[in-house]
Amino acid sequence: MSNKKVGSVLVIGAGIAGIQSSLDLANSGFKVYLLEQTPAIGGTMAQLDKTFPTNDCAMCIVSPKLVDCGRHPNIEIITNAELGKVFGEAGNFKVEVKKNPRYVDEDKCTGCAACTQNCPVSIALYPVEKISILLKKDDADKVDAILKEFKDKKGSLMPILQSITREYNYLPEDILKYISQKLDISLAKIYQIATFYNAFSLKPKGKYTVNVCFGTACYIKGGNRILEAFERELGITMGNTTEDLIFGLETISCFGCCGQAPVVTVNEDIYGHFRVTQVPKLIKKYREEESAKTKA
Amino acid sequence: MAYRCNVLLCTCTMCVSVGALKIKSKLEEEVKRFNLENEVQIISTGSSWLCTKGPTLIVQPDDIVYQLLKEKDIPNLVEEHLLKGRPVHSLMYIHPEELHPIEKLQDIPFYHDQRLIALWNRGIIDPDEIDEYIARDGYKALVKVLQNMTPEDVIQEIKDSGLRGRGGGGFPTGLKWEFCRKNPGSPKYLICNADEGDPGAFMDRSIIEADPHSLIEGMLLAAYAIGAEKGYVYVRSEYPLAIKRLDGAIIKAREYGLLGKGVFGSDFNFDVEIFRGAGAFVCGEETSLIHSIEGEPAEPRQRPPFPVEKGLFGSPTNINNVETLSCLPRIINFGAKWFAKIGTEKSKGTKVFSLAGKINNAGLVEVPMGITLREMVFKIGGGIPNRKKFKAVQTGGPSGGVIPESMLDLPIDYERLQEAGAIMGSGGMIVMDEDDCMVDIARYFIEFTRDESCGKCSSCREGLDAMYEILTNICKGNGKDGDIEFLEELGEATINASMCGLGKSAPNPVLTSIRHFRDEYVAHIRDKKCPAKSCVDLIEYSVDQEKCTGCFICNVNCPTNAIIGEKKKPQTIDKSKCIKCSVCFEVCRFDAIKVG
Repeated sequence: MSNKKVGSVLVIGAGIAGIQSSLDLANSGFKVYLLEQTPAIGGTMAQLDKTFPTNDCAMCIVSPKLVDCGRHPNIEIITNAELGKVFGEAGNFKVEVKKNPRYVDEDKCTGCAACTQNCPVSIALYPVEKISILLKKDDADKVDAILKEFKDKKGSLMPILQSITREYNYLPEDILKYISQKLDISLAKIYQIATFYNAFSLKPKGKYTVNVCFGTACYIKGGNRILEAFERELGITMGNTTEDLIFGLETISCFGCCGQAPVVTVNEDIYGHFRVTQVPKLIKKYREEESAKTKA
Repeated sequence: MAYRCNVLLCTCTMCVSVGALKIKSKLEEEVKRFNLENEVQIISTGSSWLCTKGPTLIVQPDDIVYQLLKEKDIPNLVEEHLLKGRPVHSLMYIHPEELHPIEKLQDIPFYHDQRLIALWNRGIIDPDEIDEYIARDGYKALVKVLQNMTPEDVIQEIKDSGLRGRGGGGFPTGLKWEFCRKNPGSPKYLICNADEGDPGAFMDRSIIEADPHSLIEGMLLAAYAIGAEKGYVYVRSEYPLAIKRLDGAIIKAREYGLLGKGVFGSDFNFDVEIFRGAGAFVCGEETSLIHSIEGEPAEPRQRPPFPVEKGLFGSPTNINNVETLSCLPRIINFGAKWFAKIGTEKSKGTKVFSLAGKINNAGLVEVPMGITLREMVFKIGGGIPNRKKFKAVQTGGPSGGVIPESMLDLPIDYERLQEAGAIMGSGGMIVMDEDDCMVDIARYFIEFTRDESCGKCSSCREGLDAMYEILTNICKGNGKDGDIEFLEELGEATINASMCGLGKSAPNPVLTSIRHFRDEYVAHIRDKKCPAKSCVDLIEYSVDQEKCTGCFICNVNCPTNAIIGEKKKPQTIDKSKCIKCSVCFEVCRFDAIKVG
């Protein structure tokens, strides 16, 4: 393999960052190949109204760059294409690019969009990847029972995830895949919901979840100090579970018990007017309860 | 069966947190011991009055109040009062200044100035008993509406009453209904927003826990007016007791034919479903809430189209707050004119506030609009505990602002609060004293909104993050000149560029605290000092050698063994080991730990 460095660059992704990089490189004299998966360059910024923090109009920034990019002699735009294999080393790469067919003559099309508006069918740009997974018999039965309960309801994904959380204490990955397969909803969407809300967790939770209220009234009465005391006592930071899976430590934005601030809950039990000095006693109480249970 | 007296025991979430259920079983036991089962009736109510003084109970017919009850007080109480008829003074409310016990509920200053409309039945009825609600004129408004009024009449009545949305926006309720009714789309939906995400607010939870049927009746009235057949109540998952009580109330109402097909034998159909939230503050915003019910990611969308045009599943949808809906039965029963007489010119009726923080009488307060903040804090709230100095009151949660002492005579209505830079919001009201650092409070709110931002608008996502970083640096003593101005600029930009209410209001706590407490920011940045002695990185703990008796309690409790000294001799703190956890300060009984 020759060691001669070749003066050309491949930029992957023609969003604002890719476009700007290509322009900078091309202006410095490099030959640039700009690769984009969708049929057009521009990315997300072309869809925005304003940009932060200056509130400038997004289109006003991006459109001159689109035009520059399109007519720059050093830039070759490859749209509708994906990156395949990459060979070689720094300074001398070879890549395989898979260009998807456009079925439109690029030389003749003016982009008037009349065909888009009149096309009777619409398809997803990125087809959903099919997952197939088998659960253990009893898991499958449990999940099937939950799915059956919400079968004909519109928008039932959240109640389903809530039921799964009640059953398993968290959202096991295999079960999410199973739901995706059964309901024909993409796994990405399920993850989007599952990671959006505070009530869902993808990791197993402790048997006892200590929740320190972080409402305003609790905060000004020392909620943060109580949280620190629990972190010291349990040896974990907020949002985590002890190694033996007995205690989990979390904060909550408000229980609405502001009259009794500061407030701490452990599973269903609520403790009002809580003090830093009560922390070791409380943990001891639940540890004893747990060891009594395991003995029995 | 007629009872000689009723014992009303508050069993709201707060009173349960301090042992109300134990008290209830003890009461039952003692009443049995004295064979009073046929004379004394024990009723569990919700959210009766002063939440800091829980558990509380009221003995009727004399309306005598007992507070701060413990299990061991009960045998004496039952024997003395319920058996022998001698009220127990040692368990009564003590006036904070006059220091004498007050017997009757109405004589307590906290209760005296309140006017109950949304909280009509609070602490009086058992929320699980529909008959008790009916006995207090419950569902009378529904009968009146179904028999004598057209939906247009109902809308006109609510328009005349001047009722405005109690969720914080203050949009006229009647007008919203009219838009929804006139929209040709069908079916129509009614959503009750009980996703009370504001930290420091507990009005919606209390209303549902104390009086769920008022909400159901209010929803029936609203649904009749707009022509909806299906309703949702979106409740936070953090309110398990409220969900349980509302669920029970809905089942009872269905049994009585008040929900379902052909309400009261008319041709009006309506049913309600509870939808549990999953802990996302942004769901309080109406378009996010709709997306959440639809099973979509709960991100807001651009308005218009407003939900009354295109809402849940693409149909016209009317969204009202719990408190707005709970006012409706009274407005229909007593008439729009009666309601419009209460309050100020532009803000009619009453508003429920949850008063909390550094205040003697924290609790749920319903007052006529136009009352001043001073009355709220010092008369109803009973002032600041431990003779500390009042500093500010924060209204509207993370979307609102702080109001300093110089503006305490501000009357509470939608417009006046907005002029002061704060908002009415849903009604959270947190009182702060001289020990609270305004920079730290601003940092706290931005931390909250930063975590809860859905991330759709870059201004909110990145702007709040940047503000949080600057505020954290200031609190750590790493602030720079120009930080304040930059915070103001960032705040303005975030307000202007964000789409939904969260981003549009999130910088408010920072902007108002800069406006009213700029000197505190300057002290942090220039002098590296926290005037309120609250920012951990800018304070130090030390022992007052004269006051310390060497009782050793701090030494025993210190988690890092940073306190050195012998028993019965003054202690000292090893500053290299001290982690400033404030345990020594809390356990010291001689006021010997100094912070500075």
